[in-house]
Amino acid sequence: MNTGMRYRNASPGKKLFIILLQLVMLTYVVLIIYPLFNMVISSFKSTRDIMLRPFSLPESYSFENYVTIWVDKGFGRYFLNSLLFTGCAMVFVVLLGSMAAYGIARYKFRGNTLLYMLFLSGIMLPLKAAVIPLFQIVKSLGLMDNPFSVILVFIAMGLPSTVFILSGFMRTIPGELEQAARIDGCSDLRIYSQIVMPITAPSIALATIYNAVPIWNDFFFPLVFIQSDKFKTLPVGLSSFIGQHSTKWDLLFTGLSIAIVPMLLLYLFMSKYFIKGLTAGAIK
Amino acid sequence: MTKARNWKKAAWVTFFVLPGAAIVFVFILMPLFMSLFNSFFSWNQLIRGEFIGLENFKKLFTGYPYQERFANALGNNVKWFVVTMLVQNTLGILFGYVLSRGIAGHGTYRRIFFIPVLFSIIAVGFLWGLYLKPKGMVNSLLSLMGRQDLTRAWLGDGSIATYTIIAVNIWRWVGFPTLVFMSAIDNVPAECTEAAYLDGVNEWQMFFRIVLPLIVPSITIISVLTIIGSLNVFEQVYTMAGLDGPPNYATDTIGTLFYRTAFGSVDSGAPEIGIGSAIAVIIYLMTFGISLCSILFTKSKEVEL
Amino acid sequence: MKKFLGICLTLCLLLSALTIPALAEEVTEISFWTWRPEDTAFYDAVIADFEAANPDIKVVQNAIKNTEYNTILSAALAAGDGAPDVFMSRAYGGLQTFADSGYMLALDELMPELADFSDSARGGATSITDGKIYGVPAVSQTMLCFYNTKIYEELGLSVPTTWDAFLANLEACKAAGYEALANGTKEGWCCEFLFGGVGPSFYGGNDFYDKVITGETTFMDPVFVDSVQKIKDLAPYMPDMFEGVAYTDMQANFINEISAHFVGGSYEAGYFSAENPDLSYDVFAVPGLTADDPAYVSVYADMNFSISATTKKQDAALRFIKYLATPEFGERIVSELAMVSAIPGVDVSANPFIAKVLELQENATPYIFLVGFRYEQPTGSSLFQSAAQDLMVDKASAEETCQVVQDGIAAYYEPFQK
Repeated sequence: MNTGMRYRNASPGKKLFIILLQLVMLTYVVLIIYPLFNMVISSFKSTRDIMLRPFSLPESYSFENYVTIWVDKGFGRYFLNSLLFTGCAMVFVVLLGSMAAYGIARYKFRGNTLLYMLFLSGIMLPLKAAVIPLFQIVKSLGLMDNPFSVILVFIAMGLPSTVFILSGFMRTIPGELEQAARIDGCSDLRIYSQIVMPITAPSIALATIYNAVPIWNDFFFPLVFIQSDKFKTLPVGLSSFIGQHSTKWDLLFTGLSIAIVPMLLLYLFMSKYFIKGLTAGAIK
Repeated sequence: MTKARNWKKAAWVTFFVLPGAAIVFVFILMPLFMSLFNSFFSWNQLIRGEFIGLENFKKLFTGYPYQERFANALGNNVKWFVVTMLVQNTLGILFGYVLSRGIAGHGTYRRIFFIPVLFSIIAVGFLWGLYLKPKGMVNSLLSLMGRQDLTRAWLGDGSIATYTIIAVNIWRWVGFPTLVFMSAIDNVPAECTEAAYLDGVNEWQMFFRIVLPLIVPSITIISVLTIIGSLNVFEQVYTMAGLDGPPNYATDTIGTLFYRTAFGSVDSGAPEIGIGSAIAVIIYLMTFGISLCSILFTKSKEVEL
Repeated sequence: MKKFLGICLTLCLLLSALTIPALAEEVTEISFWTWRPEDTAFYDAVIADFEAANPDIKVVQNAIKNTEYNTILSAALAAGDGAPDVFMSRAYGGLQTFADSGYMLALDELMPELADFSDSARGGATSITDGKIYGVPAVSQTMLCFYNTKIYEELGLSVPTTWDAFLANLEACKAAGYEALANGTKEGWCCEFLFGGVGPSFYGGNDFYDKVITGETTFMDPVFVDSVQKIKDLAPYMPDMFEGVAYTDMQANFINEISAHFVGGSYEAGYFSAENPDLSYDVFAVPGLTADDPAYVSVYADMNFSISATTKKQDAALRFIKYLATPEFGERIVSELAMVSAIPGVDVSANPFIAKVLELQENATPYIFLVGFRYEQPTGSSLFQSAAQDLMVDKASAEETCQVVQDGIAAYYEPFQK
């Protein structure tokens, strides 16, 4: 039987299409792997070497840069802070975001679209634009130089697109499922947590990774709200290698190579939900 | 009876929506509207002066050099939108479709395609800067292929710099629509597709007649995010070209124009908060309007389905 | 998932425990912001010495990425407290923004020693609105031409004293397979400093500057147009597709001895030497048409140390910036940062490079667009930077470039509106 994109048994036209697409996708894979590789090898070089021979292999694989960063520059602490800040923020982004999306997508009420648009407004302008009033708000809440300021701002940054993406997907869940559960005596909270959440797992995974990356990489808000070294995050530490007239590319790349690891792990963890997607479709 | 049920419903909605809405309100909407409000005032450097109504908007639309800069920047945003929509989202839907339909190696592709999104923008800017500079890898490859004539100063040539940056941005983001469409297509009930195959539809009909109508919600999500993203372009231009949209504003977008007007640019000028806020208001109104239209449009479509 | 949530909540609680403020100490703690992440170690050492001499003061340095510095500083100053007690402030138009906003303390009466600073140094720290001084000037920067002395020796070249000799040297380097001139124009500000190094000897330095400031002449003056044409004349010696060559590539090519010349700021020296200790370079002022024309260098004041108007620790802050005005600190700037200190009475013998720069400063002229025309929008700098990018790639003539600058400035500059 003719199913999907298998090369075998496909018509000649389809075969050509598959070959072409495979070529495109393989090229893209190379274009992804190479910069990743480039970034990691650069972390074993000196700045001068990076500028002079950016594509050559390092002469030796000494972990000197890693030691400098982790020990001398105190990145161990920054790394931990980043994990904490991003972790805390993401838990609330997913929790509050899926709740709000559920509220908006599964209940019909007046002002529904307005509420939806208000959430969406949160990504219509870069939050950087509002840094001066935001600073005043954070200050009046007494949260200056306090990790909670950054975590709250991160939560707020992540919520709009999470609500937007999740409510989009939640809308597509057939209503019968919910009605059946309601007849069985499920409370709204249980419908949300036991039925809607599991079905939307792939899109939750998607929204999580979509928001975790910019939050993890953001150096601006921690730079604005945090002064104490003990609360600084990894991207803030990285920004200190970028000088006015000179940049320490060696240390920067070392830091960037470290910084991408948690995101890769998170993504690999989340990707099982996307891959599962195929079978999850059969539940319905 | 219905009243009680309505109360219950209202309570549940509040329970679900309020916590998130409160945080977004306090930390995003309130400060944003506070700074948008600044556009109605005159400014002496960083100090707010008197209320001047729409004076700043008038300056923005008719005054030198704002009018010219704004039109130029908006033009580039349009380029961003058109190219991203056509190339990135088409590729995304294509990749998503074939990955979902189990093309050889789909498991690996699924895991790899999203990796560029994980890169920090600093790394993207620097690495692609290396590849795209005059003596970079792209030009070397072209020379190697005997196409010396195609070598360019990819980021320095005003006629192509914007497209170069868009291309890098597509490299960075195409994995996102791919995954969105892929998981949407994964969720198309197997009975539908199997029945269609049994009916002998070809892949083409399968895609357009069966799959496409069923993934309209994902298309809305991606389209709206593309609209918002294209009107908000900032970081990519900032890291790959510069805050002034070099060369000679060829890569300028309303995002970079806004930022250097509102906050000033270290190398070229002081902030003008009033005008900057006016630009922000325009960005906001445009984004809001266009997003609302496309959401309402697809809502009406969904009903038809 | 629930377990994960629980763990995170516990972590949040732990975090809140960490944030309970430490017990107040008896010393006065002042915060000090800079935009020089590359100099954190330098300032740490300076602070350590200051604290040793002033045990009742503790200075906490916070270096913020240059491009984000102004934004974050304005947010902090606008909010009142949370702002630094002492901060590095920009010169000229950049200083004006904060001075006019009332965010900085005028230092004229608090620091009489500022009177001893040179006029040009104070110029960068003085508000044009009220004529008061708002910062301790730190350094001056000079736009000149770096050249690789090893390449000069190898090719038997000597320091040029005429424009033609300069072009001949460039030609010789090019013929020998070197990249004659490192400069690229991908970033607009690189055009401005290229012009800052090349232009003044042709437009005639201070004479023209004084005239254009008073409106006696304009940027359409043929002398000026000709000087702008001169940067275009250098294009054949610049890298292939120089319009795509970024600032970091320029630096790298000079550092790695691929390029023989680099027209740029004296502030590069520290980085050049740090990256390639074997690099032997020297500097000259780009010569004018004949050897008799004075070879001008553009000079500007850079970085001031200012006190926040709202600080509650004014005494401690003042003691700290007074320390930053001592020759002792100035000598450290010279020897450790390889920059020209603005402080009077600094002994530069420790650094022959700086001594050389000071020698070239005999023919100093203000870095024209920064010193004179960066106060209002569109600034002379932003106009020139973008217009010059078109000039370099033949999209505009020198005349058209000057026209853009002239028209743009005339939109607000009264002396041009007559």
